[in-house]
Amino acid sequence: MPMRPGREVMVAGVGLHPFGRFPSEDLAGMARVSVLEALKDAGVAWKDIPVAYFGHVYYHGMSLGETALSKLGLTGIPIINVENACSSGSTAFWQAYWGITSGIFDLALAFGAEKVPSGPVTVTGEDSPERYIGGDHMMAGYALRMRRYMEDTGAPATALAQVSVKARQNASLNPYAHRPQTYTVEEVLNSRLVADPLTLFQCCPTSEGAAAAVLCAEEALDRYGVDRRRSVRIAAACLTSGNYNGRGSDHSAFSPYRTEPAALQAYEMSGLGPEDVDLVQVHDAATIGELQQLEALHLAAFGEGWRATVEGRTALTGDIPTNTDGGLLAMGHPFGATGIRMIHETVTQLRQEAGPRQVARARVGVAQCSGAGDVTTVHILTK
Amino acid sequence: MVSSIDPERMRLSNSGTEGVLVGFRCGDCGVRVFGPATFCQACTSGNLTQVEFGTTGKLFSFTVVRVPPAGWTGPVPYMLGEVELEEGPHVLAEVVDAGEAELAMGMSMELSWQVVTSGGEEKAVYKWRPAGDTADGKGE
Repeated sequence: MPMRPGREVMVAGVGLHPFGRFPSEDLAGMARVSVLEALKDAGVAWKDIPVAYFGHVYYHGMSLGETALSKLGLTGIPIINVENACSSGSTAFWQAYWGITSGIFDLALAFGAEKVPSGPVTVTGEDSPERYIGGDHMMAGYALRMRRYMEDTGAPATALAQVSVKARQNASLNPYAHRPQTYTVEEVLNSRLVADPLTLFQCCPTSEGAAAAVLCAEEALDRYGVDRRRSVRIAAACLTSGNYNGRGSDHSAFSPYRTEPAALQAYEMSGLGPEDVDLVQVHDAATIGELQQLEALHLAAFGEGWRATVEGRTALTGDIPTNTDGGLLAMGHPFGATGIRMIHETVTQLRQEAGPRQVARARVGVAQCSGAGDVTTVHILTK
Repeated sequence: MVSSIDPERMRLSNSGTEGVLVGFRCGDCGVRVFGPATFCQACTSGNLTQVEFGTTGKLFSFTVVRVPPAGWTGPVPYMLGEVELEEGPHVLAEVVDAGEAELAMGMSMELSWQVVTSGGEEKAVYKWRPAGDTADGKGE
């Protein structure tokens, strides 16, 4: 599909509510914490925001975006609630980008929040035949991909476990993370099996949390008082749904490389290539996910993502630092917030503000987020 | 009489004693898709013909689910098999009539089915089993 970006769009500010479990807080209040932080970070007044997009999945009542923002003052702006599974937040961000680059808005707020229920995540409705077949089980889908990957590539179980070990190391340097405790490869492999060969510590937690970003047209930065030096350019914003994968089914488990079309679009849109990428956030709902996303983004050769992990190339000190804040595996995975959390981390790294987890060279960052329905978003940010 | 829980994926014939997987073949691009379709997933053509698939395939991948999803009424743990049909499509279903240790990548599998009670009615759910154990291909 042709893409016609117009004006340059910048991320002016980002905010987070910590990820974890917060039984005493309601979703709207958590979302508001992240929004206020993003507005403050951007130096933008709420009354100047002309549009807002809110990503969330689970039902906590209608028009939740309006509920969350109404407490900031009823300014009458359009507020759009976005559901695109685990890509809901990144889809909200994508909409905010296109609303500004097209010239409709000078500013936009993208935010997301979630309280994910405990237990295995299912995708279909309760009356779906998939429930009887037993195949509607997100981690079982990852387990099927993982066994096939190990068979095809020779990747040892220890290489996959290393993805989790690395994620926890990064999260231990992140005060917002749901799972900051570190562990060893042996502890990962010896944690209880969820769906063979996937063990519990190779699955992301079901989390609560919120994230927000304020976007601004480059030419309008000064008008709204945004600090130009701390703003980060959006070089690509791409969103795809399923492409036919040749396997005669639309089952997500059968499409391990569904990210590739969005990745290729994003490289074309930005004029950048995989060789230009300094750091990356990918959708590591399970360890196998990180490896296959890196390969689909062409940051590792197909079937070689596990070697990059074993060789330390995806660590903070490597040449393709991956999921620098802990990723879904350790930062946590509140669906609606996750995609914007990735933007938050990328912006923080590109601003050189990541503290103990700062990567040495951070000029170009990629954020890739997947969702059921074969949704993929790929955003490229540059400083 | 027992009916299929999802007749657009498995149809029962011969008075409900034989199951067959069904899908569509595109008259324009030739792609075969398992399950319901109105338009071709690959080329968007509406020129589709319903087809029956064979009842065998190769085990492309498998897992043993030890933490079941909400609403699962079967045994725990249970085995899931992703089977590549000879015609190409992949079909995911529970694996029955086998122990975990018997499963191996690439092994031959055949269609089976089991009856569950859904909304007070008996419904047949398609399953996979290792090929060749018995003549009737029907699980217990």
